[in-house]
Amino acid sequence: MPFDATDITLSLLKVVVVLLALLNVTPIMVWVERRGSALIQDRPGPNRVGPLGLFQSFADALKFILKEDVIPAQAHKWLYTLAPMFGLLPALTTIAVIPWGLPFKLPVKHWFGRTFFAGNPIFDPIVADVNIGILLIFALASLGVYGIVTAGWASSNKYSLFGGIRASAQMISYELALTLAAVSTLLAAGSLRLTDIVWQQSQYFYLFNVVKLPAWNILSPAMWLSFIIFFVSAFAETNRLPFDFAEAEAELVAGYHTEYSSMKFALFFMSEYMAMAAMSCLIATLYLGGWDIPYWDEPQVWWASLLTMLFFTAKVVVLLLIFVWVRWTIPRLKYDILMRLGWKVFLPLAFVNIVIVAFFVAKHWI
Amino acid sequence: MIPTHWFLILSAVLFSIGVCGVLTRKNGITIFMSIELMVNAVNLTFLAYARQFHQLHGLIFVFFVMAIAAAEAAVGLAIFISLFHHRETIDVDEANLMHW
Amino acid sequence: MFEFAIFFFFAAVAVIFALVVVLHRNPVVGALALVASFFALAVMYVLLEAPFLAALQVIVYAGAIMVLFLFVIMLLNLQHKREEPTRPVQQFLGYTSSAAFLIGLIYYIVKYAAFTALPAGPFNSDARAIGMELFQSYIFPFEMVSILLLAAIVGALLLSARSVAR
Repeated sequence: MPFDATDITLSLLKVVVVLLALLNVTPIMVWVERRGSALIQDRPGPNRVGPLGLFQSFADALKFILKEDVIPAQAHKWLYTLAPMFGLLPALTTIAVIPWGLPFKLPVKHWFGRTFFAGNPIFDPIVADVNIGILLIFALASLGVYGIVTAGWASSNKYSLFGGIRASAQMISYELALTLAAVSTLLAAGSLRLTDIVWQQSQYFYLFNVVKLPAWNILSPAMWLSFIIFFVSAFAETNRLPFDFAEAEAELVAGYHTEYSSMKFALFFMSEYMAMAAMSCLIATLYLGGWDIPYWDEPQVWWASLLTMLFFTAKVVVLLLIFVWVRWTIPRLKYDILMRLGWKVFLPLAFVNIVIVAFFVAKHWI
Repeated sequence: MIPTHWFLILSAVLFSIGVCGVLTRKNGITIFMSIELMVNAVNLTFLAYARQFHQLHGLIFVFFVMAIAAAEAAVGLAIFISLFHHRETIDVDEANLMHW
Repeated sequence: MFEFAIFFFFAAVAVIFALVVVLHRNPVVGALALVASFFALAVMYVLLEAPFLAALQVIVYAGAIMVLFLFVIMLLNLQHKREEPTRPVQQFLGYTSSAAFLIGLIYYIVKYAAFTALPAGPFNSDARAIGMELFQSYIFPFEMVSILLLAAIVGALLLSARSVAR
């Protein structure tokens, strides 16, 4: 495949932008979580470190770096140290296939006496536009189980082991419902590529032949059920309340990261927030139309692309706020109820949903 | 383009490592993992030939092999669990009675 | 040129982690090494122009089957029982026979595998092509595999349940 310096530079630029965005999610979300929870619980929250407590994340980071790193004597040293890194894998890699802006033509520029972008190549704001886009996300997300279960086992602590096994059993159960619920969006788009899914949602459909709505999957009646299943399973996949058996304070001490301190604990923390951000990006792409701005046929120029990137960020931010909101509102489910919900309620509903959406697609109503 | 026989050699290496594991180890789970390694080596061979002749039959076969290996893993591990419940060990040399 | 580098790197990863599976005494480390080996094999599948199967390999093998293995190992608490070393006779015979097998295989592959050049054009191996083939020519094995999976689920449940009337 012939590629030249321009392609490599643009790809590196995309990788840098995406990584910077994702790595900055954690400190911002920490602040949002603590102030948001304080707002919901009618208390001030952190307000000492900087105005409105905005530099609290810096203080936390400093604390994590300077704290003593303890390794339990009975722990399996190698796996104990590697486990937090397994946790980072899904979050950092799934973000690579998510489209975050409108592709636009690069105008021909003359800088430093040389001609750049001759032939108007198209800049596609997605790091890796593969044919099997969404399968890659499911594949890499299913590797997220290993971080938790390895951490739980390598700590050689009964409570960690139980927390790890419970969390991983929950994650693999809800992966099924997640995948099957997402199949309905794939049926509507007719492709596995996430860019095709977003393009399909940038068109319009006429509700009852009267109301012109953007073809976002959340607005289509056949997909409401799959949106609910996907949204709830996303909570289970990222181990957020009401499904946070991995951490389960007051039940399991601190679950699988009981024995972890300082930087390794910070890595677990980071991987949870980054997985939340990646999952929010995926929900925005599959159901909320990705980067599409409703009711506007975006021209393929750079300023329209910037606006679409802002819109995508706004959708992801709204979803992250909902994640925080739900965490501090809904109590934790009992474990057997959680597993029953995953296997006996969501899985059959996801199958029924596939049949419904397949029916709609066959009748060309979607 | 990578020549096909390189993939075949890699598959042969993985297969014989799996054979070595089955013949040498006593832990039942490790033997089972070596068998999975052999199955994957064979999958690689199928895909190498499928690419060589641009035919989809190799891919479909690998698809079915994966599904059947999943079923086999579930049943095999259930057998190990039941063996463990009876004999408190997973050592295959201890599974030497026809009926208890 | 990149393809060769990727091939050698991931082939080395696959082989090294396979050796860890077979030689390390702790089954948990062996299971995680097998996951790494499967991941390297998935990269091999991408090099063989079958990305759909590469994703399936990670989803099914590395993401589900190996998690099942890890559950069984951890729940049965197997790592605390030290596995006795195999008898030296068995070890010697095992290593030499598998080495002889490997040498024989490589000899015959290098001697007899003479392939013509690859057909021109891309290999149409995406999800649509596999789906068409699966639901047209291979519909019967497809349905049979679903019944097989059902039988496996029922069998696994029956085998691993402790008998109630004891």
